[in-house]
Amino acid sequence: MSMAASWTGTSLWRIQASRARALPGLVVLLIGWELAARLLTDAFVLAGPTEVLAYLVEDRALMARALGETLTNAAFGFVIGNVAAIALAAVALAWPRAERVVTGLALLVFCLPLVATGPILRVLYGPGAGPQVTLAALAVYYTTLIPLLVGLRAAPSSWFDLVRSYGRGRFATLVHVRAMASLPYFFAGLQIAAPAAFLGAMVGEFTGAERGMGVLTVQAIRALDVEMTWGLATVATAVSILAYIAIGALGRRVLLDAPPVILAAPAGASRGRLAAWVDAGLVTLIAVGAWWLALLAFGLNPFFAKGPGDVFAALVLDDDAAETRAALAAALGETALFLIPGYLAGLLAGAGLAVLLILVPMIASSAMPLAIALRSVPIVTTAPLVVLLLGRGAVGTIVLVAVMVFFPTFVASLHGLRQAPGQIMDVFDSYAAGPVTRLLRVRIPAMLPAFFAAARMAVPASVLAVTVVEWLATGNGIGSLMAISASLSDYDMLWSSVVLVSVLSALGYAAVGAVERRILGTYAPEQLA
Amino acid sequence: MTSFPLTRRRLLGTGAAALGAASVFAPSRLWAQSAVSLQLSWLHSVQFGGSYIAQNRGFWSDNGLEVSLLPGGPNAPVEPPVVSGTALVGISAADYTAAAVEEGAPFKILGVAMQKNPFVVASLPENPVNEPADLVGKRIGMALANTPILEALCTLNDVDINDIEIVPTQYSAQPLLAGEVDCLLCWETDLPVAMAVEGVESITMLLADYGYAVHSQTYIATEDSLANRREELVALMRGEVMAWDAYRADTDAAAELTLEMYPDAGLDIEAQRMQAERQVPLMFSELTEANGFGWWTDETVAANIETLALLGRDVSPDLWDRSILEEVHGS
Repeated sequence: MSMAASWTGTSLWRIQASRARALPGLVVLLIGWELAARLLTDAFVLAGPTEVLAYLVEDRALMARALGETLTNAAFGFVIGNVAAIALAAVALAWPRAERVVTGLALLVFCLPLVATGPILRVLYGPGAGPQVTLAALAVYYTTLIPLLVGLRAAPSSWFDLVRSYGRGRFATLVHVRAMASLPYFFAGLQIAAPAAFLGAMVGEFTGAERGMGVLTVQAIRALDVEMTWGLATVATAVSILAYIAIGALGRRVLLDAPPVILAAPAGASRGRLAAWVDAGLVTLIAVGAWWLALLAFGLNPFFAKGPGDVFAALVLDDDAAETRAALAAALGETALFLIPGYLAGLLAGAGLAVLLILVPMIASSAMPLAIALRSVPIVTTAPLVVLLLGRGAVGTIVLVAVMVFFPTFVASLHGLRQAPGQIMDVFDSYAAGPVTRLLRVRIPAMLPAFFAAARMAVPASVLAVTVVEWLATGNGIGSLMAISASLSDYDMLWSSVVLVSVLSALGYAAVGAVERRILGTYAPEQLA
Repeated sequence: MTSFPLTRRRLLGTGAAALGAASVFAPSRLWAQSAVSLQLSWLHSVQFGGSYIAQNRGFWSDNGLEVSLLPGGPNAPVEPPVVSGTALVGISAADYTAAAVEEGAPFKILGVAMQKNPFVVASLPENPVNEPADLVGKRIGMALANTPILEALCTLNDVDINDIEIVPTQYSAQPLLAGEVDCLLCWETDLPVAMAVEGVESITMLLADYGYAVHSQTYIATEDSLANRREELVALMRGEVMAWDAYRADTDAAAELTLEMYPDAGLDIEAQRMQAERQVPLMFSELTEANGFGWWTDETVAANIETLALLGRDVSPDLWDRSILEEVHGS
């Protein structure tokens, strides 16, 4: 297993593992943070590490109880969400015809905006931790499902032939080839999921909870308690980073084999447009049917639980339908102005930083903690700071969206870059090819499947980010429209927004998929089979 | 008006759970306890201090009622749990209730905790807003969703809203302290208290003193509950009335009780004491002096309807139903 040795010896693994080399980066980060806090003392937006530490020591009992509550809910949600992702992937694999329908439905559910699902979950569950756990699960299942599906196909066709030549069937292929091939992707998904689950559990507390980190965050922001706000953010970040490192360490223990060379024949005629339309139609049909059935099954009150018919009436049939449509269009237009630049900037920054880390491994020690921290600091606490630094205009929101998109893209791209097959790297080594050549010819093509999987996942993630920022910080666009509709009991408007946001997210996802198919057709045709 | 069936399974479930909890924590009682929920409009704080006193001193359990207090939050509208029967009574405000009724919810207002609307314009002494005319040329930080409130204030006081620069902010006093805005549209009892705890004195102009008449912290229930669950409603409101009178007698004790009952809410005792004291003048007036806590008259309702019309809400006086309160106060 010489290749295995060379792969596990890849500098990044070592850097992540070596705490000693991460220290200087962390120190720089802390000093920068402290200085920024000292500079901004009068602005009531940022507390430095010394103040935060003092606060955490003083209120450790309160913080421990809140952390215990939120972490428990996040952990349950994490497990449930990931088990659901594995189950969905299994369905898609056992019945390939269903894959696009499964992922389509999964996408639609993932796109349901928190602002709207929160109160409904609260009514369904009553008092307790139900909404917190559910929102945590909803925040993670999709970001695991998509890498898993990519990974289940990331094996050379010769391996499938080998299993077949032994006369074994699809189950053996699944156990011996696909499951093994999917593990690196699965762990990448789990790493991304950890901070998402925590954020989901926190936002779940906004639907009415007695205790938890989310409850304290709302309280701290209102009370102008900057030390508490950043104390909470620090704890949330630390927990997310620890989860990230722990999953990474687990991954290193499990993943011993080097990634294989995948030399697939160019994809044959892929399934036609007709099949795609049929799938889209099926997804719509099932979604509308499930929606209607769920309302019936749970016996939800029609005052706030609107069915497909109600939304159709609100958007098309009612006297004020034109007004409703105009309000929605205006809000969506406003949102798009933040969403699209933020999305693209996040993708670019994520892939860019991953590439930079491969070229200049030195910076990994300070870049990694910063990258994880950026993504893990709850968006509810960073929003005021970003808005203060960048103004209340579009830039602040765009940056916040980019931050949410950036991290999953970065992690996926990094994993993808590392998937460069050892044999090919050896060939380039023997020709004394420089790092840039290797990057362009081997690593980036190897990265593309993971990058595009991240780009697709980032569509709903960015929608989530933009609506949360609009809801909690800036007060414009579709996120704010949904919040206002909920507080004014305009549930027709709320559900119409939910439908439109979900459908538009799905369309955005399809558009990214179309670009992906064109590019992967050249670089990774096995993904298209 | 459409009738809304309650989901009985949910009701029974909640009741059973509450009963289970009650049997563990409360001393066993000889008479049957009826279990209901009160949906609060925000996270736990002394804003609901009276309800905590009612629970703590047994004002409800002595009347055969076990009440669970359900916390609200930034993403927890009060109306759905009340409409669906998860909560018997909810804490709302006349403007939100009016909006829900327009959308078909069968709500009635049973009592008014805040006689004066708690909205204020908060500013700093060096650049004060003492009256609506002072708003001209100022930058006001507020949630855009509250624009109708500012519009109503301007209409009532002949101020051109176009002379005011609205800066969308989230619910925090930070933009005022950072000098991004000159004033904030907020509640008398939250952001000014937060600033005071940080050592910043602020000037507040109560909208209610300039014609903005909207009942706040109102108790709402469905018509169905009013018809079929009167005894429980009376018991609940009786407990509230007794408790808020006790609250008024010792607001410090209410603040301390709040921290004792909800140690995980992250509340500051100093801020809670101040908030408890500041909401007294909003809740008690000559009207409540004469008639008791939660009361209203045809005149105050008429004033509310006028202001609500400015907010775009067409309301009729029968949104208010005083029958429960009349039974409680024995008039």
